[in-house]
Amino acid sequence: LDIYLPIAEVSVNGPLLIALGAAVGFVSGLFGIGGGFLMTPVLVLMGVPPTVAVASEANHVAASSTSSVISYGRKRAVDFRMGTVLAAGGAIGSLVGVELFRKLRLLGQADLVVALSYLVFLGVIGGLMLTESAAAVLRRRRGEPPKRRGDRRPPWLYGLPLKMRFPRSRLYISVIPPLALGAFVGVLSAIMGVGGGFILVPAMVYVLRMPAAVVVGTSLFQIIITTGLTSVLQAGRNQTVDIVLSTLLLAGGVLGAQFGARASSRFRAEELRALLGLIVLLVGLRMGLGLFVTPEEPFVMISGGQ
Amino acid sequence: MTAADVPPPVVAAALTESEVRVTSSFRGARIVLYGAVFDREARPSDVVVLVRGPEQPIRIARKINVAGLWVNSRPVVFAGAPGFYMAASTRPLAEIAGFSTLRRLGAGIDHLPINAPAEQRIETRYGVRDMVVSRLGSDYLVWRRAVVRLKAGAGLYDTDETGVRFVDRGLFRSEIALPAGAPTGDYEARIILFQGGRPVAERVRTLRVEKAGFERGLYLFAHDRPWSYGVASVVIALAAGWAASAAFRRN
Repeated sequence: LDIYLPIAEVSVNGPLLIALGAAVGFVSGLFGIGGGFLMTPVLVLMGVPPTVAVASEANHVAASSTSSVISYGRKRAVDFRMGTVLAAGGAIGSLVGVELFRKLRLLGQADLVVALSYLVFLGVIGGLMLTESAAAVLRRRRGEPPKRRGDRRPPWLYGLPLKMRFPRSRLYISVIPPLALGAFVGVLSAIMGVGGGFILVPAMVYVLRMPAAVVVGTSLFQIIITTGLTSVLQAGRNQTVDIVLSTLLLAGGVLGAQFGARASSRFRAEELRALLGLIVLLVGLRMGLGLFVTPEEPFVMISGGQ
Repeated sequence: MTAADVPPPVVAAALTESEVRVTSSFRGARIVLYGAVFDREARPSDVVVLVRGPEQPIRIARKINVAGLWVNSRPVVFAGAPGFYMAASTRPLAEIAGFSTLRRLGAGIDHLPINAPAEQRIETRYGVRDMVVSRLGSDYLVWRRAVVRLKAGAGLYDTDETGVRFVDRGLFRSEIALPAGAPTGDYEARIILFQGGRPVAERVRTLRVEKAGFERGLYLFAHDRPWSYGVASVVIALAAGWAASAAFRRN
């Protein structure tokens, strides 16, 4: 059952895409991430041009995140004020990111930057998550008490101007760090076709020191805004959003996300983090591998030649 | 009857379809071309079919190793390359006609005028004026071969040395295989009759590949009103997310 994608101009297997969307949606709901870092590489492997994959995937992430945020919102696990500040930064970031991606494509270096971003960001974060959570799992197995999280917040978080109250996160901090974090994630969203949850979640826990209960929901809320904006910008500037592709993906994705969110209560947090860390690390290494292996075909066609 | 009274040979041809509609179930198309050679004298004839799709500039980069990493070189833009090209003939082209004839007709992938205009400059060398010098130098052929290889790999360039077959006296048949990734636009099929190494008759048939129905609507929407299209895509995404969450809540 092949379906022709009008913007990507390739035909792909429809049921396979829906199944992939569902699988990634499940992972997304389970871990509270967008799942773009898994889906974009798979789409590229299936022959979808990378520029279309990145742009359409942002749209898919927006859909599965909406599906999860509504559930988190009901449990009062979303800090909408913090999410909005992050998203304001994200808006600036995705504007910059879409333009940057355009320039890189014209220079022929988009592939390199995408591969390097995957290798560096996924490699480092996957590695950190895996070691931290594996240590936590081991401590519990040995019956030792869990390590106390240092409640000391970095002083620079308080020294900066423009302080704002975030009641749901029980924080009173400067808006500059969340704005900067949002902007950084916005750039990644445009370049890597990801929501950026894999960076936002650890950054909110370890840098902003937000309570764990609101981290995932808030991250997903900001992801909706950033990826939604990225979709509009990619469509408007580059005409690379394929609605048929993103609709196939999100049809499976929104359902998978619901099942994933339910399944997540059956696992311990540190086990989930260890598994996620492993997946993130493997995807990063797989994407980076191409940079080191001697290519069979020394020439590559670069899309977007107009 | 003298030679002057014999009417010149004529070639006639037709395509089974002159319009290919690209819809959601499009997986490529096979178009049959059939034709006939009318020649009183029945001299030995060869038929060459050249199909050209709309021209598309190609940007291509070479992987180079920088400090252990494989990265893309500066991309080179090649012009003059058709988005689709097929050369089918009754015999290998080199046996049908000489080099200069094939070059003049642009018959065969080796004779396509694919070059990189941005890399060229015109200068005087060895006292010869207006010489075209490519910055790619002797590597130019390697780059050109890569363009052809990548296009052929995608099923967009094809040379079939036995692609035209005489099925009966003067009656021949050929097939054009369009892959799913074939560019949309106007195609031109030239059917050339060769006798004694010279082209003696020619016929041109046109073919139109266009997106149709729903696909066409979406494509036009995305390109004519890109911002509304972007907003629509986000609205669909948010609505789908909300719908799934609402449906699951009821259960």
